[in-house]
Amino acid sequence: MAEPTTPTDAELDEYILFTLGMLGIDISVLPVLDPDALVDQSDVLSACRNRIRQNLQVLEFELDPQYHLATYYASPQAAWTARRSK
Amino acid sequence: MTDLKTDLPDSKSEELPSTDYETLDARVDRRAFIARMGALGAAGVALAQLPPVPARAAGYSGSSLPKVAVRPEVFADPTEATIAEATTLIARKQLKPSELTEAYLERIRLYDTDYWQAYYTVLADESRAIAAKLDRAYKPVGLLHGVSVPVKDNFYTKNVLTSAQSLIFADFVPDVDASAVARIKAAGGIVLGKLQMGPLAGGRPRNPATGEVTTRNAWSPDDPGPSPSGSSGGSGCCTAARLATCSLGTQTGGSITGPGQSNGLTALKPTHGLCSVFGVIPLTITRDHIGPLARDAMDAAIVTSVIAGPAPEDLRTLNLPRLPNLIGAATPVVWKGRVAPRWRLKVGVPAGFADGTSATALARTAMLDVLADIGYEIVPVTLPDEYVLLNGGAFNVSSTERGEMDYQYLREDVRLFGDRLTGWVSALFIDGPTANKGLRCRQRAYDLAYSELWTQCDVIFSTTGFDALGFPLCTLPIGFAPNAAGIELPISTTLGGPSFGEEKILSVIAAFQAATNYHLRRPPNPTIGLARAGDPRVPRIRMNARSVDAEIEATALA
Repeated sequence: MAEPTTPTDAELDEYILFTLGMLGIDISVLPVLDPDALVDQSDVLSACRNRIRQNLQVLEFELDPQYHLATYYASPQAAWTARRSK
Repeated sequence: MTDLKTDLPDSKSEELPSTDYETLDARVDRRAFIARMGALGAAGVALAQLPPVPARAAGYSGSSLPKVAVRPEVFADPTEATIAEATTLIARKQLKPSELTEAYLERIRLYDTDYWQAYYTVLADESRAIAAKLDRAYKPVGLLHGVSVPVKDNFYTKNVLTSAQSLIFADFVPDVDASAVARIKAAGGIVLGKLQMGPLAGGRPRNPATGEVTTRNAWSPDDPGPSPSGSSGGSGCCTAARLATCSLGTQTGGSITGPGQSNGLTALKPTHGLCSVFGVIPLTITRDHIGPLARDAMDAAIVTSVIAGPAPEDLRTLNLPRLPNLIGAATPVVWKGRVAPRWRLKVGVPAGFADGTSATALARTAMLDVLADIGYEIVPVTLPDEYVLLNGGAFNVSSTERGEMDYQYLREDVRLFGDRLTGWVSALFIDGPTANKGLRCRQRAYDLAYSELWTQCDVIFSTTGFDALGFPLCTLPIGFAPNAAGIELPISTTLGGPSFGEEKILSVIAAFQAATNYHLRRPPNPTIGLARAGDPRVPRIRMNARSVDAEIEATALA
């Protein structure tokens, strides 16, 4: 099994900007780095990098596919399935 | 911390309740959990032996207007009244809806625009017209007859601006009411206005274009420093500052319980699905909740009884069990002159909850002593490590929903999102497999709660995972302490329960409030002439993406 690579911030930034470009989302209208701004490009890239790095932690968590279904609404589903299982 | 009440009002039950029936949560979720285990052959439970699930019916189960003893101070100032007190006086023809409405409008005129700034829009003329009609009603229209219940600005209000305090919806005027707004009106409630909020339901209320904070903490009318918390900060300030009797807020990650705690309120986030979120501008649709920010457990029960129940326009609310009698659950029990538990429950306390010598720790210790004295069993609880992990930030994949729903606005101009942008753009980088895995982990966390958490206790002083899993939560004030600037602020905490466990939570809080006075304290009025909004002597507080994200994270963990 191959080990995941560990991209640098610069590599991730390139990936993020490329992806946003493909989606038609333009963050170049924001200042690059401005502590006085509501938000700048640096904030956006940092948040995206954090999220991308978290994805692996989620994917690596082991779960039995027979047991744990994807659940959007856990509490209502509990009531719904209880009714069905009568 | 010896603020105990000795003059118990005469409105409480003088009999211990029957214990031959289970609270709703016991009939639903344990059954669902056991059924799942049984179906998988892990528990070997005979499904035929499980108790029946109540048939589906309209939400409100038919309690009548609660008649309560009205405190003397209410006669001097009707804005002091709780919902129960106000409707009691109105039913007795001792107070008119128009008088109550005018009293609130006068406080708004005096104090809101220049000081508290809880309201985004005040619907004065519309409210006066409705109040005049209610004055002429032969009998109460419903549980909220004549009571003001303004709503956060992300609730659709027909023909009224609904901006979510955001540049995206700056001109949005819906042509329908949200389910909850329609139900408040149908119950005789008066939607006195729209309340300030954190833009797009995140962080304390502020100007979306500048980041400058608006709403003040109700307990700090002369100083914008202390946060009312977010994102339902306007709702929290409004109820606590007596600018309305109650208010509605929304919660995706602490946005009802945060302002409930900061403003010293009894704020209830009901079980997911119990109340329709149709007509609420979505933040994260699988975690979005609505609920009341109230002054006590009874008021929280009354409003939830009104807004809960199946709504054809929101499929999540359908085929759920019949809403139990929350008003009954929130009615304290007095047995031989002492407050007693309605149900004998185990109250869970996580490690470290009351450790140390801080004012918060001392208030928590005193609260636990009161609960123990009432008759609750206080039990130490360990949150399962895996449960905590699965409810951590990495596994919160719900934000991918907002990346999808608001994609067109991201393409239009990212600046429309202001300081909230990072949460939307980063959501685009939750890939499909990760999102699906996160949703499977949600079920795993839910099952862990039932196999390892709710086996230890019936209710718990914790919020971990409660928004994603849809468990109910309710705040309560438990003390007061000055901050570094000497401003007396509430100390509050939050009690949670299993799905559909509102009865348990409300019964515990009602018992605590019957034995203490913290929920009866009200904030001081602003000092007229001092510290007006916009005055150059008043510190201007600006937020940005970094400070907003930090505040949101702290609120979600509170």
